Amino acid sequence: MRPNDVPLKRVTDLLSSMKLTLVCLALLMVLVVACTLLQVPLGTHLAVERTIRSFLVWYTPDWSPVRLPVFPGGGLVGGVLLVNLLFAQFLKLERSRRKAGLWLAHAGLALLFLGEFSTAMLQVESQMPVEVGQTKNYSEDTRQMELAVVDATDPAKDTVTTIPESRLRPGAEIVTPSLPFKIDVKRWYDNSDLGMRKPTDPPSEATAGVGASLSVSEAPIVTSDDAQNAAAALIEPVAGGDGLGTYWVSNALGAPQGFVREGRAWRLVLRPRRYYLPFSVTLKEFKHDIYPGTDIPKNFSSLVRLDDPGAGEDRDALIYMNHPLRYGGKTFYQASFGQNDQLSVFQVVRNPGWLIPYLSCILVALGLLLHFGVKLSASLKRAR
Amino acid sequence: MRAFLPLIFLATLAACQKDPIEVRVEPKEDAAAAALAPASRPRGVRWTAPSGWTEAPGTGMRVTTLTPPQTAGKAEVTVIALPGDVGGELANVNRWRGQLALPPIGEADLPNARAAVRSELGAINLYDFTGTGANKTRLVAGMFQVSGTTWFFKLMGDEKAVAAARPAFLKLLEGLQKDAS
Repeated sequence: MRPNDVPLKRVTDLLSSMKLTLVCLALLMVLVVACTLLQVPLGTHLAVERTIRSFLVWYTPDWSPVRLPVFPGGGLVGGVLLVNLLFAQFLKLERSRRKAGLWLAHAGLALLFLGEFSTAMLQVESQMPVEVGQTKNYSEDTRQMELAVVDATDPAKDTVTTIPESRLRPGAEIVTPSLPFKIDVKRWYDNSDLGMRKPTDPPSEATAGVGASLSVSEAPIVTSDDAQNAAAALIEPVAGGDGLGTYWVSNALGAPQGFVREGRAWRLVLRPRRYYLPFSVTLKEFKHDIYPGTDIPKNFSSLVRLDDPGAGEDRDALIYMNHPLRYGGKTFYQASFGQNDQLSVFQVVRNPGWLIPYLSCILVALGLLLHFGVKLSASLKRAR
Repeated sequence: MRAFLPLIFLATLAACQKDPIEVRVEPKEDAAAAALAPASRPRGVRWTAPSGWTEAPGTGMRVTTLTPPQTAGKAEVTVIALPGDVGGELANVNRWRGQLALPPIGEADLPNARAAVRSELGAINLYDFTGTGANKTRLVAGMFQVSGTTWFFKLMGDEKAVAAARPAFLKLLEGLQKDAS
């Protein structure tokens, strides 16, 4: 054995050890408990993001200006567990027909880990609120905003330039060929307090639109599942060095604001980020059944019309609890309802890897069946 | 480790990519309809317009505008919903008084300025101020919070028109209901 092989062997022994597996599983258990407890102050989404779908769990103490890593995150533990599984598989597991079942079961487990990584990186969740009789061809992500700059001059159609929230940072200059002006971003608040201006307030930073009559101040972000941030941006369209007015835009403000320049009408709207679909969904009917004589919900269901002219699809579909509509790579779940049962809200999930957990479970099940089948067969042979 | 290379490449690519600016041509989206779209309209409160009143989608900060019959003069109800406490009770009361050219009041005067209306949402604070001068303007406003959002229902207009619309406006406030979204 070469001298260099000794430390290498130590590393491979460690990476393939059962002790490492047990440590990782224990860490995962701690993470699951922590994630569950953190859902109370942080809400489900942020708790999962900070514990399960991160490589490190960070904490910023009151006395520290910097955040500190305090625990391995689900991404790191899952990655180590995957490496551990692969090393154990290739270094320790016998390559024989007798062990084929275990190979298959381990492959299923590895696929399960990869599936979770794929979900963390590629899954997009959004919502589609639809009123009865309304047709929609987009869903919205209320956790991310976009600035829609709408050229509303044409009476038949709008040309919409959407600028994602990630670009709306103070000091940013948005220049894009679709707009005959640039947009200067002066302020961005993830959450804000909006109030009516009082006569004693200092002059508004906004010079146009409804923002001129508002007082806007930054507020701590809210993360609970039933709360929504009132994002706000102070923006100024500028053409040829001339400012076209400074506007406060916010998703908490109802109707859009705008201006007219050189005969073209422009609207400015800060709205939840939209994901457009190549098909449309019309809510035909929403049912909210209760148990007779009580207010206890029995069932929620939405009858929708799915229309996809490109694919020649035009059919009804019923969406209800645990029975989503899967179409065009998206899954539509019945999520909520409102407006006196005239509004249905669907959770729209795009997850290219949604089949992976099913495949991995099948592989694990087949692997275990094969493995125990081989064992049983060997036992029976010995018994004869 | 080769098996991980595509995964590492994908992760690096995802981290480096900047969200793109997109351009779309869409069918005309009615601004009024957009203002009342479920995603942008504040949720949590439901109302029924009194008989004979008209309702129009709001513009700007307004969620909606309700207009009573204009036989006794001009008046309208504006409904506004904003997150948080929107400056608090005293600031809003004095803002309304400022709209009627009335002097501001202090914290100690608030109980005298405040009445209450009961609804399914609980107690709604009610304020009633009348301006001075030959052509008096009157304002009757209801203010309450639902799930962290402050709602303002404000009836404002000519004194006589507001007086005529006031009973129906109070019924409107009493009939406010929770929207179960």
